[in-house]
Amino acid sequence: MIELHERTRRISPTRIHEILLRYGAKSLVDPFMGLPTHLNYLKRHGIAVHGGDVLEWFVRVGEGIVVNDLTILRDHEVAEIVEMIPGRIYALDLFKAWEGVFFTEEQCVYLGVWFDNVRNLRSDGQTGLAILGLWRVFCYWLQKAQEPDEMPDLPPSELAWHYIRQSERWVASNMRRNTVRQSDVMQTLERQRADALLFAPPPRNALHHADPRIWMWEAWWQGNPYFTLEHAYRDTLFGARSNDPAAYQRSIAGILSEAGEYPLLIVATNESRLGEIEPIVRNARAKVECYAPNESEIYLIATA
Amino acid sequence: MALFQEADGDPRVALDRLADVLSYYGAVGDAAAGLTFGFSLRKAAFARSIAEVLEVEASLLDAVSIAGLLHAVGAIGNPALVRENDLPERLATMERWDIPAAGARICAAIGALPERVADIVRWQAEAWDGTGFPDQLRWNGIPLPSVALALADRVVRAHEPEEALASIAEEAGRSFAPAHSRAFMLWFHRTGAEAEPFTFPRTALLADFSDPGDLLLDIADRIDRHLAVPGRARNVLRLAEASARALGCTAPEIEALRIAALTFGAGELGNGFESTLDPLVRLGLERRAEQAQAGARLLEGLPALAAAAPLVAARAEWFDGTGKPAGLARDVIPIGARILATAIAYDAIDIDTRARPAARRATAGERLDGAAGTHFDPRVVTAVLDAAKAHA
Repeated sequence: MIELHERTRRISPTRIHEILLRYGAKSLVDPFMGLPTHLNYLKRHGIAVHGGDVLEWFVRVGEGIVVNDLTILRDHEVAEIVEMIPGRIYALDLFKAWEGVFFTEEQCVYLGVWFDNVRNLRSDGQTGLAILGLWRVFCYWLQKAQEPDEMPDLPPSELAWHYIRQSERWVASNMRRNTVRQSDVMQTLERQRADALLFAPPPRNALHHADPRIWMWEAWWQGNPYFTLEHAYRDTLFGARSNDPAAYQRSIAGILSEAGEYPLLIVATNESRLGEIEPIVRNARAKVECYAPNESEIYLIATA
Repeated sequence: MALFQEADGDPRVALDRLADVLSYYGAVGDAAAGLTFGFSLRKAAFARSIAEVLEVEASLLDAVSIAGLLHAVGAIGNPALVRENDLPERLATMERWDIPAAGARICAAIGALPERVADIVRWQAEAWDGTGFPDQLRWNGIPLPSVALALADRVVRAHEPEEALASIAEEAGRSFAPAHSRAFMLWFHRTGAEAEPFTFPRTALLADFSDPGDLLLDIADRIDRHLAVPGRARNVLRLAEASARALGCTAPEIEALRIAALTFGAGELGNGFESTLDPLVRLGLERRAEQAQAGARLLEGLPALAAAAPLVAARAEWFDGTGKPAGLARDVIPIGARILATAIAYDAIDIDTRARPAARRATAGERLDGAAGTHFDPRVVTAVLDAAKAHA
């Protein structure tokens, strides 16, 4: 049995949008975007958004709901994702290592089928939408393993169909160029400029507390059930320094220094981490406003 | 704005008025969203009851109630719902996703509300699996009070309580956390899917409360923008109040008329739009009467606003007794209703005449004068025209 996290990072795009409107910002960079549903919201409301992350599946999803302006999936294309296609060769035992540990035999077979099917879609946008939809199936299964009697048994293909259809509802255009890139935070900051920077610093030791639903789905996308987050983060800014408080604070200060040219800086944190983050932000910028709508959502808003 | 008469320094009167205006706001939100009358009251009652079983902090229960009441205020002015905004279905759906966020902004701007109400409204349509809107929060990132609202919404929308039970169980792990689904079942069996009727938690309103008159004016402005007749209520208010003074109406009559001028438009939400028809012809009279009744129903039962209900209800009556719905004639029609009907008609004709000067030969004054004695009270017509001239 895997431990599923009780809490997840709360980023409220409606709130961020309100902040952007207040300061007249029309574009935004988020170098730690994670699952970019918040960037999708901002995009739909006319903001040019640019995201970056180290995990590839986040970036792929970004290609589906952030970069993609109009591609959706027709019924026959969804059908080609959710079930085995006659004549196609599948690596059905690719996720055998998870069988009996996290998933049933049938679920592991489907994970193998979907692994191949999403790679045969016609565009990056479609692939991103499919990855997002299937991730929700994956989460459903992990949750159901914990509470087998509380959640209905739904056939994998039906669940996948439902969630892929859900995902494509979010596709919209804002008539602006929106981008996502797989890169570490400093590279994203160097290569992209915008009116505002959204920065949600990962907690210290975040690697060791990451939600399994996040890294296991990267493992699925990589086709490697033995993948661990250390693989992805080993050479990143926070990966090597995540244990040492001083190094961690220097990393954040370095990012804020690099972000000096952004007219608007929004640092998202929460009550328990405010004491650590706020002095660093105030050290980097002269004008800092603390906006704390609730204990899980605190924004340090720095202006030039 | 000094819409109401002085409360003689009694803070309870102001608080009661504010509670009534907020209840009215909730009902207007329902109407704008196309929900049935009383939806928000039921949702507020169920949400509080469910929140107790979900073990929401006791200090937040009043906020849950108020959030349930104001759950749909964001629908007022939503681009997918406003008049003549014929959006493609996909785009309309996306616009509707913004209703909770718009509602949160409205709640946040009302200083008298408990702080958490806005966020409870904001996240009431989020889903456990992250497929909700507007923020696509997932798992336990969704606060419990908002979950209570979402569960209550299912109960109110269901034809039978068992239908809600089945749908919530079916969606455990998707729209709702399994634990929340379980808690709902507990609530269902413990209460028989019944809740105490909603009573406004007045003590939860902050001492530094908003002015109920200003709030009512803000609601009227939002309704007018929704109906694509911006500024109508203010125009009607100005004309009606000046006319009432000229006709020697009493202070309580003028107060009721002021409220009626700011609230009659709500009856048009979800009931077609009066302003698309010429107000001086009989065509559309049935519809106008329905709108008048719908508007009046929103005010009944709210002591601070109820005096305006008979005026709003009778605004489709004709002076000669051939109007709707009751066929009242002459002085049997309340003076406030006669003034209101005339002021509304003047405003509509005046706007139309100024917008399309070539299409009309007669001015608004000439046309209204022609309807005196049949449609309108001649004395009132004179007073309204004088008021219009004075403000020209």
